[in-house]
Amino acid sequence: MSHNPTTQLLRLLPLALLLAAPLAHAADAGHGAQVFAEECAECHSASPGKNKKGPSLFAVAGHVAGGVPDYVYSDAMKHSGITWTADKLDAYIAAPRKTVPGCKMKYDGLDNAGARADLIEFLNNTH
Amino acid sequence: MPTTTRFARLRPRATWPLAALLAAASVPAHALPSFARQTGDDCAACHIGAFGPQLTPHGMKFKMGGYTDSNGKNDSLPVSAMLVESWFHTKKDQPPADGPNNKALLQEASLFLAGRLGEHVGSFAQGTWSDTGRRKFTMDNVDVRYTNTLQLAGKDTVLGLSFNNNPTVTDPFNTVPAWRFPYMATEMAPGPAASPIIDGALAGQVGGLAAYGLWNDSVYAELGGYRTMGRSFLENVNVLAPGDNLDKINGVAPYWRVGYFQDLHKSAWHVGMFGFDPNLKPGGVAGPTDKYRDIGVDASYQFLGTRKHVFALNTAYIHEKRKFDASFDSTCTTPDAPCSQSGNVNRFDLSGSYHYDQTWGVTAGMFGVKGSADSGLYSGVSVLNKPDSDGYILQADWTPLGKENSWGAPWANLRLGLQYTGYTKFNGSKNNYDGTGRNASDNNTLYAFAWAAF
Repeated sequence: MSHNPTTQLLRLLPLALLLAAPLAHAADAGHGAQVFAEECAECHSASPGKNKKGPSLFAVAGHVAGGVPDYVYSDAMKHSGITWTADKLDAYIAAPRKTVPGCKMKYDGLDNAGARADLIEFLNNTH
Repeated sequence: MPTTTRFARLRPRATWPLAALLAAASVPAHALPSFARQTGDDCAACHIGAFGPQLTPHGMKFKMGGYTDSNGKNDSLPVSAMLVESWFHTKKDQPPADGPNNKALLQEASLFLAGRLGEHVGSFAQGTWSDTGRRKFTMDNVDVRYTNTLQLAGKDTVLGLSFNNNPTVTDPFNTVPAWRFPYMATEMAPGPAASPIIDGALAGQVGGLAAYGLWNDSVYAELGGYRTMGRSFLENVNVLAPGDNLDKINGVAPYWRVGYFQDLHKSAWHVGMFGFDPNLKPGGVAGPTDKYRDIGVDASYQFLGTRKHVFALNTAYIHEKRKFDASFDSTCTTPDAPCSQSGNVNRFDLSGSYHYDQTWGVTAGMFGVKGSADSGLYSGVSVLNKPDSDGYILQADWTPLGKENSWGAPWANLRLGLQYTGYTKFNGSKNNYDGTGRNASDNNTLYAFAWAAF
């Protein structure tokens, strides 16, 4: 059995990575609901069929942009061809008008990547 | 109501500077389901406590956008209505000629043309019938806007024009006279004798055009000018009755406003300054004018969080310099005319509110008026000939509607409130302020209201 300190540290590395992984990406839908209330709820509902100034975000994950019934989208959003994957949602929430130039959402973006991940987790759970 | 003054009811005057006295009986009203129908947003999105007029940052931006923002359907009528039923009790009756006590009444019944009239044009125009005045349908606050958004130095810039009838009615913040706490108050109870002229004295009597801009959602600036509207028009819209005095602005009175605003979504704050400089011809008579120079500083903070617990602080201080070149009487023999050619009056307001679940609210406010003594201007209402008044206002309210899943949304909203106004000083002193034995606390008033909007 080796007593080389470097070798011992290398043996512990997988365990350390395993423990660190949840810390790096622990999307929290509960916190995402708070983020939704703080950042989104004035213009969006998470309830099905409830459109405000923005469309309902119920079950938005995985759907094609511009598809909520009875909502008037901008041409830019209608023709964006986006499917709302987690990556696309993340990019759009971070910088809406950079991701979909010409969209009508008046939101300057959410800088905090962790908060975006939590928010997306919350949206993923609305189905 | 824009023109009736508490003091005017207390002591009717003829042709001298009525504007020198308090005219802050104009009670704001700005909680309109037509805006909710137009945008699809809840009342709570734009208003703290889910009922107007105290605006959230979202509501401020809707107002600065000229009431034009919508859900894109543009299929709602920009029409709303409002009813306020109220009851008040003042600790000690006023002299019978000055008004009743313990009275329930239909305080306001208003119709609004409020909302988007076109892509760039929006309106907030109110007509009001009131049991407290002459019981006629009267032109109330009017604010019609044209706005456009463009890029300036790479940032979004809202530019707008407003035609309106009340200096400060255009303002997006909850601190200026047209929009500060209390957002509903009785117009029947006694009020202090003086306040700066920007505090509603000319509301409804003037027409003004203001240009404004919001740069990068942070820098707000406004510049406007006001003139007194014609007597025949004001009589036709029941702002004036035949024979009512009308002081006229000489030329154009400038109004200005600057502010720095930050919307951090979970919180928001602003600091700003504003001013209004009318020269008035008492009774509209040509010749020398009475000059008012008002300047104010204001600030606000809102903690919004998840909107479960919302705190707000609003404050403003206004300083007014007055020069009564037209109406002063150095001999002090003309009844009620100022004996001093110059003077000042200052006003401070501070209020803090907490709302739980956008439904239950409590607000505490304090106010103070301090000014130079004048043995003509305040004779009869102040034994010390001073306008100084201090007091506080406490309010609790319940707003069961106005949220996303509320009954009747977006067609109806309701607030029930109980308010108490206490005076620690009134027209110069705590006790026997008018020389007839009436104390400041005799004017303490309990007020209950039911305020509905459709």
